[in-house]
Amino acid sequence: MTKKLLTKTLRSNLLFSLLVLMISGPLFYFFTERLYLEDSDEVLLLRKNEFVKFTLSSMKESEISIWNKISKDGKIEKEAHSSAKDSLFFISKYDNYTAENEPYHVLKSSIRIEGKPYSVQFRINLIEANDLIISIAILFSIIIILLLTGLYIITKRYSIKLWKPFYETLSQIEQFELDKDRIPHFKPTSIEEFDRLNKDISKLIEKNSSIFKSQREFVENAAHELQTPLAIFQLTIDTLIQNPAITDEQYILVNQLNETIGRLNRLNKSLLLLSKIDGNQFETNEKTDLYVVIDKQIPFFLEQASFKNIKIFSSIDKNVFVHCNSELLEILVSNLFLNTIKHNKSNGTVQITLTKTALTFSNTGVAITLDSEKLYQRFSKLNPSTHGNGLGLSIIKKIVQLNDWAIKYSFKGDMHSFEIIF
Amino acid sequence: MKILIIEDEIQLAENIQKYLKSNDFVIEVAENITIAAEKIDLYEYDCILLDLMLPDGNGFEILKKLKKLNKTAGVIILSAKETLETRIEGFNFGADDYLTKPFHLSELLVRIQALIRRKNFQGSTIINFEEIRIDIQSKSVNVKNIAIETTKKEFELLIYLIGNKNKVLSKTSIAEHLSGDLADMLDNHDFIYAHIKNLKKKLSEAGSGDYIKTIYGFGYKWQND
Repeated sequence: MTKKLLTKTLRSNLLFSLLVLMISGPLFYFFTERLYLEDSDEVLLLRKNEFVKFTLSSMKESEISIWNKISKDGKIEKEAHSSAKDSLFFISKYDNYTAENEPYHVLKSSIRIEGKPYSVQFRINLIEANDLIISIAILFSIIIILLLTGLYIITKRYSIKLWKPFYETLSQIEQFELDKDRIPHFKPTSIEEFDRLNKDISKLIEKNSSIFKSQREFVENAAHELQTPLAIFQLTIDTLIQNPAITDEQYILVNQLNETIGRLNRLNKSLLLLSKIDGNQFETNEKTDLYVVIDKQIPFFLEQASFKNIKIFSSIDKNVFVHCNSELLEILVSNLFLNTIKHNKSNGTVQITLTKTALTFSNTGVAITLDSEKLYQRFSKLNPSTHGNGLGLSIIKKIVQLNDWAIKYSFKGDMHSFEIIF
Repeated sequence: MKILIIEDEIQLAENIQKYLKSNDFVIEVAENITIAAEKIDLYEYDCILLDLMLPDGNGFEILKKLKKLNKTAGVIILSAKETLETRIEGFNFGADDYLTKPFHLSELLVRIQALIRRKNFQGSTIINFEEIRIDIQSKSVNVKNIAIETTKKEFELLIYLIGNKNKVLSKTSIAEHLSGDLADMLDNHDFIYAHIKNLKKKLSEAGSGDYIKTIYGFGYKWQND
């Protein structure tokens, strides 16, 4: 699944931040607690040293109970025997005031008062682990929320600004069409990589355009240059057939030549037409009534249809005006019309429908759906037995594209349909 | 009738010359603008066939010269480079007709005949052939003074056939004459047969001779025998 560039960077940024915070939360807790405990150790040791230094030397056994009463966090107890080492441990003691067990850190040390073994304990109230965890969790949650919204806003604002030239380039390329003379112009950006990208794309487009242009010119020139030899060919045949010595057999041969030169002429004319459309030589557009164009051609095609006993049905709205070059519109209609008869079967039907938004030519014919991929390709003949040159539908498609219309092929029932949507 | 062909392709000019010769035309050929200009200066022509792309310039120069000299010759442009613009330009410079290469000689002949009819106001718009009389202006056909009804296509076909009398005409050339660019797309010109058959029937029913000869596998010929 493809996602937008910014969504992807944003997502990985957010995921990484989240991961770092999740790991650093417990670590932070661990280190804080260790520091805190080390600190409380020091405090307890300090208290004991102060006690030993200032109080213990002058202390009497009788004063123990009073000291125990006065001291909030110290306690002297009688011990059976003395041990040399201090011990540090934790206890939990019920606290009446907060009504819960409070953790304490305790330093126990052996002392001697008037020669007898005693122990002194100093304790320090610790923060509950729970409290610490909750505080840290709250803190980190706030950091996470701040970080994520911050990242989100920065990506949305700053990154969009940063990537703007890229998106502009992208939309320019999307709008670019090789066969139209609109070469995109990229604005200079302040980012080196984007400038490089734009420069390279410009170069690529210029090169392709010039190749395409010279190819188009070649086709047009070739077609033009062919006109004269074709004309000589045609006129020579026209002159030859006037010879009274030509036999019936020879007439049949000359007829083959004549038909071939006819095909060559049609082919050349079609190529010339295509290259003229490519070369924008049909720029003048006028408002034309499609009804009139179709109506004008109906008698000719009725006549053509009658030889195959084809019936033509039409449902044509009047006053359907389209903006198009009138010469091309006539060619479009006649090509569509011709196809419905050329590719029809005997006793078939043709249906012409014209509405305000679409023109449809349907006809009976071979009972298979035509390959819509190949349909509009130049010289692709789906039915090789016909004498067509395989350019008819290419011409139709070109005219449709030129006017920003759409063409749709469908095969329903036993009817092949070509629908032009204005 | 004098015709000047201005064409640098000698083979084209020769073929045109051969075809037109049998129709009582006097034909001269100029292969460039310089020669053509000299001829126009010296002689009068009824019709000029003008190629646009000539070795020493554009054929439009001839049109300008004709205008300057106040010549009345009709001009048919024969051009390989056909665009709507050159057509319009040609007509603006005073050309009377425009034929795109390649064309049929039979088509050229009827165009010349029509042009001369239009130019020559003293001449009538009536075509007579034996017992057949055609009035171009009123689009009527009479056989032995009795009017016969023809369709538009049959009428055009009749003028085309008589205009090219004693010449073999291919089905293709007839189809192109009758249906123009539309026939151009067709690969089957059998529809001509139906028109010929109907015309033949109408003429013979009116008592006309059978002048339309079928050339087997090729086309037709209007001939008087």
